[in-house]
Amino acid sequence: MVQIYLPIAEISLNLFVLLGLGLGVGFLSGLFGVGGGFLMTPILIFLGIPPAVAVSTQANQIVASSVSGALAHWRRKTLDVKMGLVLIIGGVFGSVFGVQLFSLLQRLGQIDLVISLCYVLFLGVIGGLMLVESVNAIRRRRKAGGSRSKARRKRGLIDTLPFKTRFPVSGLYMSVIPPLAIGFFVGALAALMGVGGGFVMVPAMIYLLRMPTSVVIGTSLFQILFVTALTTVLQATQNQTVDIVLAAILIIGGVIGAQIGARFVQRVPAEELRAALALLVVSVCLKLAWDLGAPPPDLYELIEARGP
Amino acid sequence: MIRSLSALFTAAVAALASAAAARSAPPEGTPPPARIAAALTEDVVEIRSDFAGAELVVFGAAEGLEDSDAIVVAVRGPQRDLRVMKKRRVLGIWVNAAPVRFEGAPTFFAVASTAPLEQVASFGALRRNQLGADHVRLSAPETERTETLLGVTGVTVSELGPEIVDYREAVVRARSRLGLFAEDPDGVERLEGGLFIARLALPSGAPTGDYNVDVYLFRDGAPIATRRTGLTVAKAGIERAVFDLAHGQPLAYGLLAVIMAALAGWAAAAVGGRR
Repeated sequence: MVQIYLPIAEISLNLFVLLGLGLGVGFLSGLFGVGGGFLMTPILIFLGIPPAVAVSTQANQIVASSVSGALAHWRRKTLDVKMGLVLIIGGVFGSVFGVQLFSLLQRLGQIDLVISLCYVLFLGVIGGLMLVESVNAIRRRRKAGGSRSKARRKRGLIDTLPFKTRFPVSGLYMSVIPPLAIGFFVGALAALMGVGGGFVMVPAMIYLLRMPTSVVIGTSLFQILFVTALTTVLQATQNQTVDIVLAAILIIGGVIGAQIGARFVQRVPAEELRAALALLVVSVCLKLAWDLGAPPPDLYELIEARGP
Repeated sequence: MIRSLSALFTAAVAALASAAAARSAPPEGTPPPARIAAALTEDVVEIRSDFAGAELVVFGAAEGLEDSDAIVVAVRGPQRDLRVMKKRRVLGIWVNAAPVRFEGAPTFFAVASTAPLEQVASFGALRRNQLGADHVRLSAPETERTETLLGVTGVTVSELGPEIVDYREAVVRARSRLGLFAEDPDGVERLEGGLFIARLALPSGAPTGDYNVDVYLFRDGAPIATRRTGLTVAKAGIERAVFDLAHGQPLAYGLLAVIMAALAGWAAAAVGGRR
């Protein structure tokens, strides 16, 4: 039992629990190719770390986990830098907005509720969609190579927007407004929920922006890297809620776990992997939804003014 | 350990002679027939990276201590404002509502005694000296007004009525869960010759700041001597450096955090890629 006192969170936790948590979530993120913020932040809060510290520190940890991925995609040139920059510009504004909103909600005493609601909403929608999609994919494959019909919706509103520009890597000619809006939204989520936002951005890039799948992951990691880095600095300067000791422990566990997870990927078929991830997302969502509605252990909640 | 304890005994007895030169005014007490001296084995508790709580040991000597007397040691932490919200069910979800702001609520409050407090002192004496979780001062000035009740002027009345009691109890309950509010009726041990030793637990979540340690000598339900000494809980070493940097140079701290993370991610990719 090696306890470690976290200087900003101001609580003492077991070092091996934290390392194990980093390792476990890192393993899943390596296996599934997701950031893992959506799992880590609720667990940190559950361990007793103040939500503000959990969210801010998690943004810092995601910087580490997105660097290696973004670098790999950069080398393979599977990254649309122009699109990424537009998403980052949106993300910068979103992050600034999110950090302000976070401070406001904290003053109102509603931050825990809003974080939980955001998680339930996003994890429920994304997890549900993923589950349906992967189950269908498994069924199709079992039916011995059924035809994959891609019924694409017709483009509507997005094509009518102004400020069109060319994105050569993605082979798109479109308005900069949708990627700016997506970037803004994801930046705000990063600040509010302590996630990278890849689970929102990747589907949005594929289904709304119609980007080629090959550049989607790299571009989203590229955006996440810069937006979470900015969020970390903003949270540190405005709220002093980044715990560098906690971040370091989680990062050490995380990078090792991610390497192990990445090695496991080849042994598991892709659809089953996606179905397993979907189940994981849905169960985290259900747990949080249950906690929102279940009778609280204590009807009263103490909100402390963070002292010197 | 034994040598330091005996040194403390000597110090405590020596302090008795100069009990008049108390550090600050004692909360209540009549001038001596009995006198008390007290000291902590450590008057600075340092929070380092391996901090997982500490034991506060208060040593003391009471002059003129009789067998029926009781000794009470109260440790009070720094005061901070606190908001308490009550959860209400809205559309099936529990939502924080109805905030009550307590001004200057103690963050830490532990009482150790030689016997259960209600046997030691009268209700009034406990209330006046704020001894015990039921008597800790928790004032919510925004909900209070003074009135004249039954011919008594200056009575503080809460606009929330009896509901304020639920809020106060919630504070005590939540703090007790974390070990921040505690009562130990066996926490003070009497030794020979009017000497005593008190042990109180300081949990890992104890706030930093200046603490007051008050020692009371109770006779027939009233305090006949008190003595106050101080205690400081402070971050030290790396914990201190990190905390000071985060608050003093937040921009540099944030950039440092980002650079550390980026380097770690890059190093992992470099190592993992080579294998």
